[in-house]
Amino acid sequence: MSKLRQHKLFSLGLFLVLVVISLCIVSFFYLPQDPNVMNTINRFQSPSKEFLLGTDQFGRDILSRIMISSRYALFIGLVSVFLGAVVGIVIGALAATANGWLETILMRFIDGLMAFPGILLAMMLVAVLGKGLWNAVIAIAIFMIPVFSRLTYSLVLDQKNQLYVKAARSYGASKCRIIFKHILPMILPRLITQFSASIGSAILIESSLSFLGLGVQPPNASWGLMLSESRQYMLTYAYLAVPPGIILMITVLGFNLIGDAWNDSIVSRRMAE
Amino acid sequence: MLSFIIKRLISGLTVLFFISIITFFVLRWMPGDPATLSLGTEGTPEKIAELQEVMGLNLPWYQQYYHWIQDLFSGDWGSSYVFGEDVMTLIIQRLPVTLLLAAVSMVIVIPFAFIIGIMSALFKERWVDYIARSLMQLGDAVPQFWLALIFLVFFASKLGWFPVAGYVGFDDGILASIHSVLLPAIVLAIGQVGPLIRIIRSSMLSSLEQDYMLMTQVNGLPKTLAIVKYALRGASIAPLTIIGMQLANMLAGAILVENIFALPGIGRLLLMTVEQRDLILLQGMVIFVTSAVVLVNILTDICYRLANPMIRFGGNHE
Amino acid sequence: MMEKLLQLEKVSIDDGLGRALIKNASLTIFQGEFIGIVGESGSGKTLTVKSALDLLPDHLVITSGVRQLLGKELNGLSSKDKRRLIGAGIGFVPQNTVVFLHPMIKIKYQMIDAYLYHIDNDKKQALKKASDLLEKVGIKEPKRVLNAYPKQLSGGMQQRVNIAMALMTDPKLIVADEPTTALDTVVQRQVMELFNQLNQSEGVSILFISHDLKIVKQFCQRMYVMYQGEIVESGETHEIFTNPKHSYTQKLLSLIPTLTNLSMDKFG
Repeated sequence: MSKLRQHKLFSLGLFLVLVVISLCIVSFFYLPQDPNVMNTINRFQSPSKEFLLGTDQFGRDILSRIMISSRYALFIGLVSVFLGAVVGIVIGALAATANGWLETILMRFIDGLMAFPGILLAMMLVAVLGKGLWNAVIAIAIFMIPVFSRLTYSLVLDQKNQLYVKAARSYGASKCRIIFKHILPMILPRLITQFSASIGSAILIESSLSFLGLGVQPPNASWGLMLSESRQYMLTYAYLAVPPGIILMITVLGFNLIGDAWNDSIVSRRMAE
Repeated sequence: MLSFIIKRLISGLTVLFFISIITFFVLRWMPGDPATLSLGTEGTPEKIAELQEVMGLNLPWYQQYYHWIQDLFSGDWGSSYVFGEDVMTLIIQRLPVTLLLAAVSMVIVIPFAFIIGIMSALFKERWVDYIARSLMQLGDAVPQFWLALIFLVFFASKLGWFPVAGYVGFDDGILASIHSVLLPAIVLAIGQVGPLIRIIRSSMLSSLEQDYMLMTQVNGLPKTLAIVKYALRGASIAPLTIIGMQLANMLAGAILVENIFALPGIGRLLLMTVEQRDLILLQGMVIFVTSAVVLVNILTDICYRLANPMIRFGGNHE
Repeated sequence: MMEKLLQLEKVSIDDGLGRALIKNASLTIFQGEFIGIVGESGSGKTLTVKSALDLLPDHLVITSGVRQLLGKELNGLSSKDKRRLIGAGIGFVPQNTVVFLHPMIKIKYQMIDAYLYHIDNDKKQALKKASDLLEKVGIKEPKRVLNAYPKQLSGGMQQRVNIAMALMTDPKLIVADEPTTALDTVVQRQVMELFNQLNQSEGVSILFISHDLKIVKQFCQRMYVMYQGEIVESGETHEIFTNPKHSYTQKLLSLIPTLTNLSMDKFG
């Protein structure tokens, strides 16, 4: 892929993500309307000066609700991927450096987690832990573990045979030191791109869970929840379905593009070396 | 080959073992014990204790686990306390809907992905490629449940091309049945198409760079023959490797789509199970779904080897 | 004067970024000749020949020069005509280290394509010809080989198949790009004998690219020496071996006694 195109896609992704982030930041200082005030007179208002994106079935301002939803999306996305990544990286690194049975057990365990269709694992955990924000975070974090441990596993195996690791080993550096001081910095770029790409899918799962009524709970707002709440009115008031979906897609697309472009640039740099 | 199959089966069984362990322990965390839950409002302390005894809930965990696995293998998957029916019966009842949905969506997605993937590889860095890649990105980013809602509003409600909800059984004719799952299947297909196009495109690109393509040039073969017979053959089996993953994605998508289109399949049953916290049914369904994914993974791995003479006859790639 | 099969005149090739890879290469092959091109790897032997067969990768550019094949000027032909001319008139035998045979298609379906397309669209005839040619190149069980996938054959066998495949269209010229590189010495000898026999008894011209001077000395009538993208010396083989003019050729020839060891190291 051409450098220029990579750069363009990265910029587009960054732009989209920045739009959402600024939406989130602004929401702490200014909201067009109170997102939780219900007003039956204002039900199902079409977009107007007062309500830029219209109002929902309770007369709440859709734009304001979308703005505060971005807080949940970004928070859940970042935190759950971070937690999942930390655990996943530790497992992957452990499996790659341990030998024999521990390696097998860890990797089979990861394979086992991988066999759960994404949202099923999250649903199962929510069934156990109960509905709610933090439980959704934990559920998504667990879902993220296998991706990171597999990636770390293969990257560490790759690096293990490199000259500099052999050198470090020959002057007696400890396993831990080799991993944290030598290998981790080398594979970090790849892990960071995975991090970025995973945020997109984490937000997607969060919204799916909320849509199914298993994630963020009312009266709080989440894009998935908004869509779920407006479902029964959608045939009459189709405009209800548009804004939350669009902003959700923009967010996911943004993180994915950043991750992809980043990854491509790492790969092409590797090839050039 | 036989040794590979045995090896693969063993590793598949190990994975299933871990899945069962994960499921067993996760569901054991669940607050409230199954005996209390299944008795519901009729539960008196004596009755609960009695049922706990019967269900073996007083035994140490490893014995419970052992009994559970034993029951799984003997086909006794327990019974749901919400539906009051056998877990296996419930699953088998719902399965055809989900299978039909998945099959129709596969039929849509495979040819589409092959055509787009191949075109995009042949016209690399040209507008066809750019469009294909944009489609891929959008397909990855669009929330399936949102797409389902939009389609429902537009194609089913506004245009009336499809039923808004509900499933038509095989009894009313196969075509009617397919028609009733067509719109949800399209939604599922859009969710699947990204990864598939990606792998077809990249394997086609690498096939086009192989030396055997040089041979078609040296032999002066026409371009279409070279592409169809040589390049495509080389690129045709890589997509097999992601079928297991695709199936998992599809099942995940089915949970959402079935709920939106009110299709009485596995996905809808799952949501009800989670909402009602029906432990026995949930653990049965989780085991069923994940085993299906593992099994498909094993089968595709074996097919991959059979379809690939490179490995079948020579390689020590294991 | 014998027929000119291939002629390059002052061909220069550029890597697309302005760096010259081949400078003013001129080369002629007449009917019935066994010609060698020698030079170390990276000297541009393969590139020169590939330019003659219109096989250059897309990013390389031919900046100047005339290329003639079987009496036709390549630049004047449509790409379809070029394919036809090369496909039917010239056989190409690659280095056997490359995956020239499609690993997932049976040998027979690969061998017959050129015949079907250029000569006669008769599958039975094509298969018969393939089987005959396999026998000719010393394969004892042509039926088994035809039904095999490349992976089922040894390296030497695959190279015989490549040669047989190159002969499917009865070409006047065979271009062989280091065809014996990774073969053991016994098979190497057999393959070279095969080329020699084709040249002697059937009058097929052979353009043989190699870095193995001993083989070139034994089989080639004329030779070209390439060094850093240029043809630095050309002429009768025995002439060059007895009286090398260019300093690079002299250096090359002085290495001959150790050459066997060298090539063993390189590919061992």
